Amino acid sequence: MNTLTTIDELAFAPPLQQEVLEDTTSDHALLEATRTGDEDAFAELVSRYRNQITSYIYRMTSDYDNAVDLAQETFVRVYRARDRYQRSYAFSTYIYRIATNLAISELRKRKRRKLVSLTGFFQPSDGGEPQELNPPDTRPLQDSELVDAERRNAVQRAIGTLPEKYRAPLILRDVDGRSYDEIARILETSEGTVKSRISRARGFLREKMRAYL
Amino acid sequence: MKETKCEIVRRELEELKLTDECSVGATQHLRDCADCREFHQRQTKLRQIVGSLGTVEAPPDFDFRLRARLANESPAGGFHLRSMQWSFASKGFAVAAAALLFVVGVVYFKNIVSLKQRATNEVAEQRNQPGQPAPRPVEPRPVVRDETPAIALNNTETGPSRVKAGERRVTARARSLVAVDSSSERAIVLSNSQPYSMIFPIDASLQSFKVSLDDGRGNARTISVPTLTFGSQRLVPVATQFPPKNVW
Repeated sequence: MNTLTTIDELAFAPPLQQEVLEDTTSDHALLEATRTGDEDAFAELVSRYRNQITSYIYRMTSDYDNAVDLAQETFVRVYRARDRYQRSYAFSTYIYRIATNLAISELRKRKRRKLVSLTGFFQPSDGGEPQELNPPDTRPLQDSELVDAERRNAVQRAIGTLPEKYRAPLILRDVDGRSYDEIARILETSEGTVKSRISRARGFLREKMRAYL
Repeated sequence: MKETKCEIVRRELEELKLTDECSVGATQHLRDCADCREFHQRQTKLRQIVGSLGTVEAPPDFDFRLRARLANESPAGGFHLRSMQWSFASKGFAVAAAALLFVVGVVYFKNIVSLKQRATNEVAEQRNQPGQPAPRPVEPRPVVRDETPAIALNNTETGPSRVKAGERRVTARARSLVAVDSSSERAIVLSNSQPYSMIFPIDASLQSFKVSLDDGRGNARTISVPTLTFGSQRLVPVATQFPPKNVW
């Protein structure tokens, strides 16, 4: 039988307080620190999300420079609204919602500008969906990497032709791998609507990507 | 019945993640139904292609540009700080400007007061000098009806001696007291029976004498009095030499 000589030899469980303490590296904590003037905390948030947000907006708009601008605008808005941020849902949901709104707003602006599109010449006469100008390339491909690159380009173009209400949930689900629940919160709609829209979007894509499937 | 089963299975396959495995019932159905199996294969391939798009990276200067953009923005904190600094500076300028204005005003007022006092003292000293007649105190002249003709009023040079600046100012002030407001009074009515000489002190000059009269109703008459002659002999012997006034 061992005899305890000091109190330190008692095998206490780790203090409960440590479990209660919030992780100081969580998004919420970083935003809280940003609110108090900690610029490093905001820089950390930017470094966590800049690629995701830029990529998401790029998939939505198919324009890299524009996507970078809009991603920056997203962070500017987050910074401006740091005092009004509510912790009722995840920060990622919050920032993706801002990015989605900006991207959709940009797509609508483009629609209003009514730029002359080369694809318009290839619109079927029966009023169906406009077809992408994608003439078959008969040259022999060098290797499989080129094939993949070509296929990715085709997918990106096909996504670009989707209506915006189908585009956002499809990208969030199939590119970013987010859950239906989170997508519903980002798009501020019901989960059922999200599932339905994703299903429709995949149907559109299947038609457009028939040559690659 | 089969279509219903296919719909259920396809919905399940749609909602699954690529890494997830479908249920036993769905697996069994896929084994039996060629359409659903083909659907599942195409669906999986499409999702793999879409998923292969991956993440596009932000440019290396993203943070730098964002910082510059935030600096150019006018967020509440920065703007507040700047406005506070500006307000402190403006307060200082305002206080300095007010103090300067006050000092300039005081100096100007003092100068004016001292100038006035000096002029008054000089006048008083001049009047109190021995050998000179004691000056009459300047009394405010009563407001009287001005019955003297305009000719008399125009004759402002009263004497050969020049008055000093201070005195001139006093005289000018005294003159302003005799100003008569006769706009509400009726004009003097002249009758033809009265001779001009009773009304106007006519100088026997070579120039014709003109008087403008107003009857009080806005009708102005100008009377021109020619040089008086008696017969063919002029009173004035030489054209360039004028006789003394009021001497016929």
